[in-house]
Amino acid sequence: MDFDLEDLVNVEQTFYEDGYKDGYAHGRIHGLIEGRALGREKGFEMWEELGFYEGFALMWKAILDAQGAHDERTQNHIRHLLDLIAQFPRVNPSAAATASEAATAEPELDIPRLFRQIRSRYKLLCATLGVRPTLRAADGSSPSPDRPPSDDLADTEMENTPPTGTTRAKSERKKVWTVHDPRTDKPLGGTELSF
Amino acid sequence: MDDEAFWSSDPNVLRDSEWDKISSEFTTVGYREGITAGKEGALQEGFDDGFARVGAPIGRELGILRGLSSALLAFLSRPASTPSPATSSSSQLSNSPALVNEVRDIAAALANVRFSDIAPPDLEAIAHAREHLETSNAMDKDEDAADLTDPAKLNEEIKDKRDMESLEDLMAQMGAPGTTSTGAAPAQTRPTANDVTQMKQRLMGIAQGLGLALQWS
Repeated sequence: MDFDLEDLVNVEQTFYEDGYKDGYAHGRIHGLIEGRALGREKGFEMWEELGFYEGFALMWKAILDAQGAHDERTQNHIRHLLDLIAQFPRVNPSAAATASEAATAEPELDIPRLFRQIRSRYKLLCATLGVRPTLRAADGSSPSPDRPPSDDLADTEMENTPPTGTTRAKSERKKVWTVHDPRTDKPLGGTELSF
Repeated sequence: MDDEAFWSSDPNVLRDSEWDKISSEFTTVGYREGITAGKEGALQEGFDDGFARVGAPIGRELGILRGLSSALLAFLSRPASTPSPATSSSSQLSNSPALVNEVRDIAAALANVRFSDIAPPDLEAIAHAREHLETSNAMDKDEDAADLTDPAKLNEEIKDKRDMESLEDLMAQMGAPGTTSTGAAPAQTRPTANDVTQMKQRLMGIAQGLGLALQWS
């Protein structure tokens, strides 16, 4: 084996890079697995709640249709609620945002706001139906940070609810779900969604 | 590594065993840093994948079923005299106590379902965990293969939730030693995705019997 001094100086770099490349490929697999576990959980959590409102609206719509009832207010709430839910992304917007960087053409999606609108529309529907709303639409019923305190009604025509917690929700959330959390000291162990 | 030997002007000193030692040390350092970088770079991609392909569709399906049963139960069990937006209570939507009970059973059973009951296994995680076990590479020794297939071990937040569910199971067992009247499965046997499908069929059957047209994409 023959090499000159130049090779010797670079040799550590070469070894390092080879190792890095293999490690990176392996780490990617682990990152995908970890991220997937969290993404599944979050996707389920959000869409289970949204699905509930959707199913609720669909069933009442079917009931009212079967009865031949034409209550404008109720139908209106149902229509709005279903429309809002249809706007909610079923894919994490971050994927679309990075894919086409020129996402500026589309209006920015305000997820927390949309979520609040959906909740308050659901409650309005419950009120017109004379049905007690589910507890999940109430404040603080969720252990997860993606459910804000009571500012559900802040965006709607109803003004009788104090918009507590609005500032917290606004500051903590962004328009996309990101996994990286600057608060954690550990690089990977404590990843968490931030909105 | 022996620094004397490494910086010696005579390359021959580095031959053979020394050479291997140096190569493996730099390679290992590179490997470890590569793992960290690769992992961080892939987390968001994995998250988006799990969200779109598994979490959101399964959550939505279960949520819709819960919403449907909740609304139907509310409608069927409301007092007949209650003034409602739909005052013309037509006879085709007549309700019997048996029907109310059945819908209540379905709603309770659906409420009992957890994501961990119906989430499909992450096949890639299982495959990779198997690789770990087979190769048992010294470089990977700090990665516990068993942790890969258990979401609770991958993430603190998921762990907290699972812990809470275990606590619920424990309390349910202590509180209700006999059979529960809710119709929900006992804590010992968790519901499965199959059970959810059956509940959906029952619910759809009832809706159809009542002349209710339901469809969603």
